[in-house]
Amino acid sequence: MRRMKDFRLYVITGENYHPGRSLREVMEAALKGGADFLQLRDKRASKRELLEKAKMLRKLASAYGVPFVVNDHPDVALAVDADGVHLGQDDLPLAEARRLLGPDRIIGISTHSIEQAREAQRQGADYIGVGPVYPTGTKPGRAAVTTAYVAQAAAEIRIPFVAIGGITPDNAGEVLAAGARRLCAVSAVVGSPDPEGVCRRLLARIAEFRGTAGTGSEAENRRISVNGRPVLTGAETLLELAEQHGLAERRVVAEVGGVIVPRTGWGDFRLTAGASVEFVHFVGGG
Amino acid sequence: MAGWEREDPGDLAGREQLAGRDYPADGAKQVVQANRDFLANGAIRIEQADRMDQADLDDLVIGGRRLSSRFFLGTGHFPSPAVLREALDASGAEVITFAVRRVNLDAAGDDSMLQHVEDRGLVYLPNTSGARTADEAVRIARLAREAGLGRWVKIEISADPRTLLPDALETLKATERLVKEGFVALPYTSDDPIVCRRLEEAGASAVMPGGAPIGTGLGILNPYAIGLIAEQARVPVIVDAGIGSAADVAQAMELGAAGVLVNTPVAKSRDPAAMARAMRLALEAGRLSGIAGRIPKKKYASASSDPAGSLFGPPGGAAVLGKAGW
Repeated sequence: MRRMKDFRLYVITGENYHPGRSLREVMEAALKGGADFLQLRDKRASKRELLEKAKMLRKLASAYGVPFVVNDHPDVALAVDADGVHLGQDDLPLAEARRLLGPDRIIGISTHSIEQAREAQRQGADYIGVGPVYPTGTKPGRAAVTTAYVAQAAAEIRIPFVAIGGITPDNAGEVLAAGARRLCAVSAVVGSPDPEGVCRRLLARIAEFRGTAGTGSEAENRRISVNGRPVLTGAETLLELAEQHGLAERRVVAEVGGVIVPRTGWGDFRLTAGASVEFVHFVGGG
Repeated sequence: MAGWEREDPGDLAGREQLAGRDYPADGAKQVVQANRDFLANGAIRIEQADRMDQADLDDLVIGGRRLSSRFFLGTGHFPSPAVLREALDASGAEVITFAVRRVNLDAAGDDSMLQHVEDRGLVYLPNTSGARTADEAVRIARLAREAGLGRWVKIEISADPRTLLPDALETLKATERLVKEGFVALPYTSDDPIVCRRLEEAGASAVMPGGAPIGTGLGILNPYAIGLIAEQARVPVIVDAGIGSAADVAQAMELGAAGVLVNTPVAKSRDPAAMARAMRLALEAGRLSGIAGRIPKKKYASASSDPAGSLFGPPGGAAVLGKAGW
C-alpha cells in the first residue's frame, strides 16, 4: 500500500451546502468530529480558485494527520502536494493519472457497479467509492445502486472501499449491515449546522459494526450469507442480525442453514462464519 | 344440496296467502297497495330464502373448518392494498392465499402484505410458489407455518417456467410428507382425474386442479376432466388457476367444483372489486345451476309448446319434412 492507512469516515467538500460558512470552518469541524479522509471536490471553481482551496485544505489535513485528495485534477494535486486524487468514471483514466502522479500517491475511483469495481481493483486503484447507495443531490440523476452493490463489493473487492451517496447517521446501519466498513458523507456532514456532531454519530455507527475487538480489518467480521447475499457482519447472534436489518419487530421467519430458528431462540443463536441465513415474510400471491 | 331441493316453506306460505287474499272489489287504490305489499313482502322473503339457501349451500368444510364462502382469493398483483381490501370485501372470500418470499433487505419500508388484511378472521392459505421440488415445497410450507398463522398450505410446485404447470409427481410426494407433518394440504395440480385421486388418497384436504395455466385467463380448457374430477372426488375440488372471468367461475361450479381460487382475473381487471362481486355471484349461480341440473344437449330443437293445436303446419312445409325423411 502506498501512503494510505486505513480510514473510516471520508468527507468531501460541498460548499453549496453551507452558504454563509467558510470552507475551512466546516471542514475543520468535520475533522474535529473524527473524519479521517478529506477530499476537495468543486466542479464550479476555476482552476486558480481550486488551487487556493487545495492549499488551504492541504494544511488543514496535515494538521489533523489525515490524507487529502483532490477530485479530478492531478495537476492541482501535485501543485499542493496532496496525497492523491479521486477520479470519476469519466475523468482521466487511472493509468494516465498514475503516470502523472507516480507510484506513491493515492488514486481512488468512483464505481457504480461491481464490474467497474473489479476493473478499478485490477488497474491498481488504492481504494474505490461504492455508490451512490441512495439517491443524492450531490449527483442528481444518477440511479442509486442500493446496498445490494455494497454487499457485492464487501464480498468480493479486496482493496478498501468506501460507501457513498445519501448516507446519513439514520441509514448508516443499513449500509454497514450490508458489509461497508468505511462511509463517506457529503451533505449529511457539510450541510449540517453541526458537522462535528454528525461525524461523531457516523463514527459511532461504524464502530458498532466493526465490533469492539475489531482492528478495522474485514477479516475480523464474520462472512455470512443473508437472503442469498454475501454479507460481512459484526452481529454475534441471529437477533442482532435481525435488529441490524430492522426485522426484529416484524412478522418474519428466520432459517439458518435450511433449519427454522424459532423467534424465541434468536437471541441465543450464535452466528458462525459461513452461516446461511434466510429471512422470509408473506407477499401477495395466488 | 338437500336444502336447495326442498321449496322454502315460508315463501310458499307467502304466495298462498296472497292468492287466497280477499281483495275488496271496489278499491283500485287498495289493490295497488296490496301489490306493493306483495312486492315488498316478496322481496324480503326472497332475501330470506337466499340466506337460507346460502347457509345450506355453503356447507363447505376443509381441514375441520366450516367455510362461509367458496371463493378463495389470491392476493397478488393488486394495484394497492386498498383495492385488495375492497375486492376482498366484495368477494366475501374467507380463504386468502399469499406467497412466502425473502424479505427485501434494501427496502426498509417493505412490509408483509398481511398487515393489510389482518383481524378479519380469515383462513390463511400460504402457497409454496417458487418451489421446483417436493423438498423445496416442504421447506416453504414449514417456514409459512412458523409464522403462526395456521397449518394450511397450498402445495404449488412448478417445474416449467413458461407454463408454470404443476409437477404432479413432486406434488404427490410433497402432499404425502406435509400431511404426515400435520398440514392441511391443498395441492394445486393438473386437471388429471387419476392424479387428483392419488392426491386424495395421500391425504389432501382438497384437490385444486387448474383450469388453465396460472394467470392465462384461458378458462377451463378441459371441462370434461374437471367434471370427472368433481364427480369422483371425496374431498372438495377447488378449481385453481386459469379462470378469466365470471363466466369461467360459473362453469367451474356447474361442473361440480366445490369452489374456485382466483387471483389475477380479479386483481388485473379494470375494476377488481366489481369483478370480485361478479365472480361471487357467478359462483352462486353456477353452483345452483349445477345442482338444479342442466338438460341433456340435443342436436335438434324441441318446441316449448306442444305442436298439437298449432294453427299452421311446421315451418318450411311438407317439402322440408320430406327431405328430412319424416
